[in-house]
Amino acid sequence: MPALGTIDFWVFIIPAWFIAGAVVSLLLTRYDHAANLAGGLFAITGAAAGILFAVSILMSGTIASISMPTSFPWLSVSFRVDSLSAFFVLIISLLVLLCSVYALPYVKHYYGKYNIGLLGFMYNIFIAGMIMVVTADNGIFFLIVWEIMSLASYFLVIFERDNPEHIRAGSVYFIMTHTGTAFILLAFLLLYRTTGSFDFAVIKNSASAIPPLVKNTVFLLALVGFGTKAGIIPFHTWLPSAHPSAPSHVSALMSGVMIKTGVFMLMRLFLDIMAPSPGWWGLVIVALGAVSALLGVLYALSEHDIKKLLAYHSIENIGIIFLGLGSALFFLSIGDEAVAALCLVAALYHTFNHAVFKGLLFLGAGTVISETHTRSLEEYGGLIKYMPQTAFLFLTGSLAISAMPPLNGFISEWLTFQALFSGIQLRSAFVRGVFTLAAGSLALTGGLAAACFVKVFGTTFLARPRSHAVSHASEPKLSMRAAMAVLALLTVLLGLFAGPVVSILSKVAAELGGFAGRALAPPADVWSLGLRDGFANISMPVVFALLTGGTAVVFFAVRAVFQKGRTVTCRTWDCGADLSPRMEITATGFSRSIIMIFKGILKPTQQTDTEYNDASMRYFPKTSVVTLKNANIYETYFYRPLVNTITRISGYFKKIQSGSINAYVLYIFLTLIGLLVVYVMRGM
Amino acid sequence: MAGQYFEYQFFIEMLILTSSIFMHLVRKNSSIVVLYMVQSFLVVLLLVLSSIHRLSAALLAVIVLTFLVKVVIAPVFFFGLIKKNRLKFSVSTYLNVPVTLVVLTALVAVAHSHFFTSFTAIITRGPDTLFLCIASILISFFLIINRKGALSQMIGVLSLENSIVAFASMAGLEQTPGLQLGIVFDILVWTVIAVVFVSMIYRQYGSLDVTAMRHLKE
Repeated sequence: MPALGTIDFWVFIIPAWFIAGAVVSLLLTRYDHAANLAGGLFAITGAAAGILFAVSILMSGTIASISMPTSFPWLSVSFRVDSLSAFFVLIISLLVLLCSVYALPYVKHYYGKYNIGLLGFMYNIFIAGMIMVVTADNGIFFLIVWEIMSLASYFLVIFERDNPEHIRAGSVYFIMTHTGTAFILLAFLLLYRTTGSFDFAVIKNSASAIPPLVKNTVFLLALVGFGTKAGIIPFHTWLPSAHPSAPSHVSALMSGVMIKTGVFMLMRLFLDIMAPSPGWWGLVIVALGAVSALLGVLYALSEHDIKKLLAYHSIENIGIIFLGLGSALFFLSIGDEAVAALCLVAALYHTFNHAVFKGLLFLGAGTVISETHTRSLEEYGGLIKYMPQTAFLFLTGSLAISAMPPLNGFISEWLTFQALFSGIQLRSAFVRGVFTLAAGSLALTGGLAAACFVKVFGTTFLARPRSHAVSHASEPKLSMRAAMAVLALLTVLLGLFAGPVVSILSKVAAELGGFAGRALAPPADVWSLGLRDGFANISMPVVFALLTGGTAVVFFAVRAVFQKGRTVTCRTWDCGADLSPRMEITATGFSRSIIMIFKGILKPTQQTDTEYNDASMRYFPKTSVVTLKNANIYETYFYRPLVNTITRISGYFKKIQSGSINAYVLYIFLTLIGLLVVYVMRGM
Repeated sequence: MAGQYFEYQFFIEMLILTSSIFMHLVRKNSSIVVLYMVQSFLVVLLLVLSSIHRLSAALLAVIVLTFLVKVVIAPVFFFGLIKKNRLKFSVSTYLNVPVTLVVLTALVAVAHSHFFTSFTAIITRGPDTLFLCIASILISFFLIINRKGALSQMIGVLSLENSIVAFASMAGLEQTPGLQLGIVFDILVWTVIAVVFVSMIYRQYGSLDVTAMRHLKE
């Protein structure tokens, strides 16, 4: 055990603090308020310690580690926190801090309905699991904490257990996450077979001795295993249903940081432990990223459940992160460390940014849902009148996720574009093609994301209320608004101070084994950021000043022009009918035209239910409801056939288990004879 | 003296194998129990021979207990079960007699094939006796597989145990008297529990045919 007060001591004490919070919350389970307070305060203080710890590691460049051997030779409770781990600890802690502040009043609406002590227990265990996942330094220990994180998040998904939809979502998540874990386990076993150890440091030192076939197999297994957790297409099916089912502050954590643990491990394995890697690894990841980004945003566009929509955007943003990660792997394989570092910085930057704006959007959505008691966009409308501050904060998040300058989403997507443009300049036609398509996909994704959030913000906050509940909505408690406000401020600051952030992230990249300290930090200061030997330069403060100045000029010009004239307020002409919310464009109507453009991919199904004034005549329709849905092509063409095949094979195996003792003895007998045959054959 | 000892062993082992084969052929439950009694007695004789050959007095105590458990107590339990539940003619098999005989021939051939030649490393004298033991083990195994009645299956398990004891005795793999006493005691307990359990099953389902029991369960 390290000495009290040393940095190594904190590696151990931070997860232990969350576990203590879990236990205290569970002990207070009979008292809802005390349990909520205890669970929340432990999470807040632990997260604050986590931020300080991560910042001190990032600033000092030291490595904190601790290892406790167990009675099993292949298992040691080992933690190691280098800059990459510290970066992820920082993201997790930051979002945990703000989500926990938000949750203190938010959780109150569960009082008397669900077990608050259990919620506090699972919440703190979930956080401890995430922190340990990004700091674990032994394969078996990693799998244990990975499982702790997965199980705790599963119980959080089914927390509102009275809703059958949540139970179904939890079951899908449970199966998918354990399927992913099986792949990860296989990958670690393969590495153990070659290197003789589960310790990441030992595997890293022996990486050059791993045969290419084993390395490639580990790559594919890890990609499926960690890709399932990250939510890349086609392993994403659990994500759109699981994230919305959890309480909103947990959804923010799951979408903002939990899925990033998959990204973290891909970075750790491919760029650090197993580096260098062949070029095709990077191209595969770029292709997966391009597909996930584009399809993720298309599915989001056709979704009208606000939390599901945000969950689909997580798939999109994981796709964007994959574009940077894949590019980094590719450029590292061809020996261009400077561009590889730029690509990795883009991926890390977007990881941070997505955590911030997605956290903000999920918390905003949670506020709207708790006021209106529905997740359907079609039942909102006009909320800006009742919740102006929430509307403003949600708008900030919407602009950030739509990559609007000068917010943080813009700068990380700009960096990703630079990474992809570097690929387009290469000689190989095939590689150029892959990077060109990826850049096209990213451009399309950005446009569609903006369209999607025009829909979300428009149908939620603008126009007139579409349901009775909206007119009773009000602003949430101050701490909930404060948490969202800090996240909104971060979207601005992370965009504005891109130069310093890029410098810090370049140092993170430089420590990874693949770069071996050779990473070249792009020239950056507070005012400007220059990339690829002057090919691209940007100054975010100047962009900010121009946009602010331009907006101010337009505002005052319009005011000056129109104040001279008389303003006349009168009723909108409504063709003689009463103005009603039914005249507003719906979320379905807004997205219909875009969905129809991509109908080849989305396979939409349209159902029209019409009610007539005279059912026998059917000439004069009274009401008409159009329901637009997307066919689940993954379930139809991938998962359903897979499940059917497994069920069929299981049926054959079930026949073996006939329940007859004669049959069982016959199996033993035949096995005995078979073993004898093998023995004799080997002897020969 | 040593030569005569191996001849006796061979002769007794041949009789054990014969009893195993006859267990497949008899159609009455009481006959199979009688055959088990005979087989057990032959195993006891084999152990007596071994104790004389090794001049071991401690082994005699094991022999006496084996005799009591296998030749007296276990058959008494089985006869009691047959009498109480009128199970005299309830033997049924999966394969008919001609096919059963073909399988038995094949098993004896396998036992004498080169699959088991490596066992000759264990015993240098009388490898034919060892092959007879192996054939007996395989045939007892097959008895458990081929019989539908729970009682026959139990006898099959005990016959298998007898064959293994004979094999161990032939191969010089006998354990310490203490351990052998433990094994015999284990068999006694197993027999008592099995008989009580089978009796309860019969009372519940009115049959000891395992296929019928499976249908009743469903």
